[in-house]
Amino acid sequence: MALSVRPAGDFRVSYQQDRTIFPTRGSTLWCIVGILFLCLLPLQIGGKSLVSSYWLALVIQIAYYGIAALGLNILVGFTGQISLGHSAFFGFGAFMSAYLSGKHGVPVALSIPLAGLATGLLGVIVGLPAARLKGLYLAIATLASQFVLQDFFSRAEWFTGGASGANAAPFSLFGYSLSGDRKYYYVVLFYLVIMYVFAANLVRTRDGRAMIAVRDHYLSAEIMGINLTYYRILAFGISSVYAGIGGALMAHYTSFVSAEAFDLLLSINFLAMIIIGGLGSVMGSLMGTVFILFLPEFMQSIVRGIQSFGYAQSAAFIEGLAYMKEMAIGMAIVLFLIFEPDGLAARWRKIKAYWKLYPFSY
Amino acid sequence: MKLKLALLSAVAASTALGTSALAQQKVKVGNLVDYTGATSSVGKISGPGKVDAFNWINANGGINGKQLEVETVDYGYQTQRSIQLYKKWKDDGAVAIQGYGTNDTEAMVGFIAEDKIPYFSLSFSGHLTDPAGVSAKAKEGKIKPAPYNFFGAPSYSDGTRSLVIWAAEDWKKKGGSGKPKYIHLGDNHPYPLAPKEAGEQLAKELGFDVVPSIQYALAGGDFKAQCLALQASGANYAFMGNTTGANVALLRSCATVGVNVQFMANIWGMDEAGMKATGKAVDGLVWVVSQNPWGADVPGMKTFREISKQSDPAGASYRPLPYVRGACQVLYLGEAMRMADKAGKLNGEGIKAALEGMKDFVPFGTDGMCPAVTWTSQDHRSVDTVGLMRARITGETEQGDYTELMAKGVMKLEKVADIKVERKPGWLGY
Amino acid sequence: MNTTLLLQLLVNGVIVGALYGVVAMCFVLIYKASQVVNFAQGEFVLIGAWACWWLVTSLNLPFWISFPFCLLFMSLLGVLVQIVVLRPLIGEPVISIVMVTIGLSIFFQALLRWIFGVFTQPFPPVFATQTVSILGLNVESAYLMSLAISIVIMAGFAWFFKYSRFGLAMRATAFDQQVAQSLGVSVRQVFAVAWAISAVVSALAGVVVGLVSGVSASVATVGVKVFPAVIVGGLESIVGAVLGGLIIGLLEGLAQFFDAEYLHFGNLITIAPFYAMLLILLIKPYGLFGSKNIERV
Repeated sequence: MALSVRPAGDFRVSYQQDRTIFPTRGSTLWCIVGILFLCLLPLQIGGKSLVSSYWLALVIQIAYYGIAALGLNILVGFTGQISLGHSAFFGFGAFMSAYLSGKHGVPVALSIPLAGLATGLLGVIVGLPAARLKGLYLAIATLASQFVLQDFFSRAEWFTGGASGANAAPFSLFGYSLSGDRKYYYVVLFYLVIMYVFAANLVRTRDGRAMIAVRDHYLSAEIMGINLTYYRILAFGISSVYAGIGGALMAHYTSFVSAEAFDLLLSINFLAMIIIGGLGSVMGSLMGTVFILFLPEFMQSIVRGIQSFGYAQSAAFIEGLAYMKEMAIGMAIVLFLIFEPDGLAARWRKIKAYWKLYPFSY
Repeated sequence: MKLKLALLSAVAASTALGTSALAQQKVKVGNLVDYTGATSSVGKISGPGKVDAFNWINANGGINGKQLEVETVDYGYQTQRSIQLYKKWKDDGAVAIQGYGTNDTEAMVGFIAEDKIPYFSLSFSGHLTDPAGVSAKAKEGKIKPAPYNFFGAPSYSDGTRSLVIWAAEDWKKKGGSGKPKYIHLGDNHPYPLAPKEAGEQLAKELGFDVVPSIQYALAGGDFKAQCLALQASGANYAFMGNTTGANVALLRSCATVGVNVQFMANIWGMDEAGMKATGKAVDGLVWVVSQNPWGADVPGMKTFREISKQSDPAGASYRPLPYVRGACQVLYLGEAMRMADKAGKLNGEGIKAALEGMKDFVPFGTDGMCPAVTWTSQDHRSVDTVGLMRARITGETEQGDYTELMAKGVMKLEKVADIKVERKPGWLGY
Repeated sequence: MNTTLLLQLLVNGVIVGALYGVVAMCFVLIYKASQVVNFAQGEFVLIGAWACWWLVTSLNLPFWISFPFCLLFMSLLGVLVQIVVLRPLIGEPVISIVMVTIGLSIFFQALLRWIFGVFTQPFPPVFATQTVSILGLNVESAYLMSLAISIVIMAGFAWFFKYSRFGLAMRATAFDQQVAQSLGVSVRQVFAVAWAISAVVSALAGVVVGLVSGVSASVATVGVKVFPAVIVGGLESIVGAVLGGLIIGLLEGLAQFFDAEYLHFGNLITIAPFYAMLLILLIKPYGLFGSKNIERV
C-alpha cells in the first residue's frame, strides 16, 4: 500500500516539507476544522443539544473502537502480521483499568494510560513467540491466544470479577467529575486525537519505515539490517497499547466490563474495520470503524422506516430483519474484499483524484 | 443509473421517516429480544409473545386510550448493544423497557436506578430482587440495589431452592438411604451461575452432599465427556443451569452414556420445542414451570388465545411455555401503566408505585397462566409459590412438530408439586 | 484413581477425535490444493447437516436414498463458493483470504438460522441399533459409521493422490501452482474439485453430529476444534490431520478426567486443545507430521 501517490509537479525541497503529515495547507485546515467541529458536538445551547444523546454515544463508540482499530492496523497494515486476538487485548485493557481504579484506587485519569501500558506489556509477551511465526500459523496462534485470554477473563475472579464482570469507576480529573456522555466525550476525543497523531508520526519515522519494510519484503529487510524479530515484537506491543487504551476508555464509559463482550466476533469486527477502511492507512482505520458501527444502525433505521408505514409490527418480519442485519456484516466483508480490496481510504483517494482532474479524469 | 437513484432515494426517505416517526406523541416503550444470539432457542419463542402482548394491549384500548409505541430490537444477547439501545430509548423518552437477558440486565442496574426507568426483564435472576439495598449481599457490595427492576415470576434462585426442597422430599419418598448427592451443572456465565450459590447452600442445609459442579457450554455440543464425569461423581440430583438448547444436547449425551440421575432444570431450561428435540431422553425431567401449558382448562387461556391471534389469526398454533412467560411480563407492565395513568403519573416513578402496590395480582384475567405477583418497595421477589412439572414422553418425537406431538399426547407435562419458598430476609438478593 | 472413568473418557476421546479428524481432513485438503484457509469449515459441516436433515424429513425418503442427494448438493455448493468468492481473490494476501472465509462463515450462520430456525431438530434414526458397547462405554453407531467411512476415505485419498492422474495433478498444484499450470494442469478444475470433495466430506461429518446430538447451530463449533487438530498434525499432511484430530480427542478426554477428579476448574476440556496448540506452535510449528519450510537468507 503506497503511502500516497504524489502527482507530478509536487516537489519537496526541504526536510520540513517532507516530514509534514498533510501535504497541502488545505488538508491541514480541514483537519483542524474537523477537530473543532467535533469539539462542538456535545454542546447544548439553552437546553437544546446539537446532537442527540444517542448519536453522541455512537461517536464515543466510534472513537474508542477507532483507537483499537488503529492499533490493529499498525500491526496488520503496517507490519504485515495477522492478529485474530485483538479483542482479547482490548478486554485486557478494559479489565486492567477497572481493576486499577476499583481495587487499588488509582485515579481514572492515570489508570487509562497505565492500562494501555500494561496491555502493551502483555502484547510484547504474546509477541515474543509470535514473532517467529508467519502468515497462517500466526493467525492461528493469535486465535488460540484469544480463546486462552478470554477463558482467563471469565475465570480470574480476583482480576475481572469472573463471570459476573467488574465495575469501572467514573472518570474524574482533579476532583471534577467527567461522567455522563457529554463530558466523557472530551476525554475520548482527547485520546483519539493524540493516538492518531502518534500513529501518523510513527509511520514517518525510521521505526515506522522499518515496519513497512518488514511487511513488504521481509527477506530484503533482513538483508538491509532491520532486525525482524525486534520490529515484529514492537508492532505487537504498540498495537496492544492502542487496544488497551481503547478498552480502558470503553470500560469507564459503560462503567461495567464483562468477559463475554470480548469474543472472537469482536476480533473479527476489528479486522473488518481495518480491511474495509484500508490496510496501512491511518485515516482508513477511522473510516472503517465508522462503516462497521453505522451498518447495523443504518439497517435498523430502514427497518424503523418500514415499520412507520404500518407494516411489519409482526414478529416474523422483525425476526427476518434481525437475521438480515447479521448477514449484512458478513456480506459487507466479503463484498468489500472482492470489489474494493484496498478499502475505503483508497476509494476516497480515487474520488478526490477524480474531482481534482474533472472533467479529464480517465 | 435511474434504478440506483430511485433505490437510493427510497432508502433515504425511509431512513428520514424512521428518524422522524419517533417525534409523535405516544407512550414509548423499548423491547429487547434475542432472535439470533446465544439464547435464541428461548428468545425465538418469548420474543413473539412480548410483541403479540403489546399489540393486543394496543388493540384493546391501549393505555386508557393512548397507544403504545413499541420498538422491538434484536440485540443478539450482546451486552454492549443493549446498553446502546437503552441510552437511545432513554433519550427518546421511553417510560419503560422490556428487557431480556441476565448479563445485560445485571450490567444496567445502576443506570436504570439512576434514570428511574422501570425495567422488566426475562431474566429472573435473584440479584435483581433487592430494591432498597437492605439485603446482606447489597451491604457486602456484591449486588447493587435495583429499585426499578421487575419481573413477574419466581426468581432463578427461588426456583432452584424449590427444586432442592422437592428433591429432599423425593429422596425420602423413594426410600433412599444416607445422604443424597446434589450437583450444579452449567456454563461459566451469569445466567447459569445466578442460582448456583442459593441451590448449593440450601442443599447443604437440607442434608445433601454437594458434589463439585461440572461445566458444559451454553452453545451446545457433544457432552459425553461431561456425562461420564457426572456418572463418576455419583450424583443423585443434577440441576441444569443452562438454557434449552444446551440441555437438549446434555440430556441426549447422558442418555447414551446411561447416567442414572434425576435431572432438574431452571425455568428456561426446557420447553415443548426442547422436549421434541430431546425425545425419550427428557422423560422424567422435573423443572420450574409455574404456569399451565397451552390449552389447559383455565380462565387465563381465553385472554391468551386472543393474544396469540395477534400473529396467528387462525388460532391454531400451540404456544410453548416461553411465549406465555414473555407475554405475562408485558401484561404486568400494561396494567401498571394503566393504573399510573389513571393516577395522572404516567412516568417511571408512577409506574413503580403502581407495581409496588400490586398484591397477589393477576393481569387482564390471565389466572392459571400468569402467576399472581406481589411487589413491595422493600422486596421485588414477586412470586413465592413455585410450580414444578415433569416431562413425559411416550413415543418417538422425530416426526411432526411440537404442536402435533402435544396434541397426540406423545409429549405431556404432568404437575409435580407447588412448592412454597418463603420470602426469607436472609435469602433476599441472591 | 478412577480407571473406569479414565478408560471411558479415552475411548470417548478417540471416537470423538475421529470426527475431528474427518473435519480436519477436509480443511487440509482445501489448504493443500488451493492455499486457502477455510474458516468457514464449521459452517460447511452445519450446512451438510441441515441439508441432509431437510432432505430426510421433508421429502420422507429413506436415508440411503437422500444421503447421496445431499452429498451432490454439497459438492455443488463447494464448487459455487469457490467460483464466486475465492476465485476473485487468487493472489491476494493471506489476510484477505482469511477474512473472506470468516465473512462467509458469519453470513452462512445467520442465513441457516433464518432458514432452519434456532431450535435443535432431532435427526430421524438411521441405524437399527442406536448404541454399541465398546470397552464398557456406550458409543453411538453413528460414530462407528463415521470411523469406518473415514478409514475408507483415507484409503481412497491415499490411492487417489498416489495413483490417479487427477490426484497427481492436485499434488502438483499444491506444490507449485504456476509450474503445474505451465505443464497443462487446469488449476481451476483442481480448485473446484478440492472444494467439492471437502464440502462432501464435511457433510458426512455434519450428518454424524446431527445423528448424535441433533442438528443445531452448535454443530458448527466443531469447526473451531479443527484448528488445534491441524496444527498438531501439520497443515500439509492429510494423515497428519486425522491423527491430529485423534490426539485432540484424547487430550480432551484426559483433560476432562483431571478436571473432574482433581482440579475442578470446570472448563479444562474446552481450553486444553488451545493450550496444546500454542505449545506445538512454539516448539514444532509445522506440526508433528508437517513438512518444514526452510528459508535461507
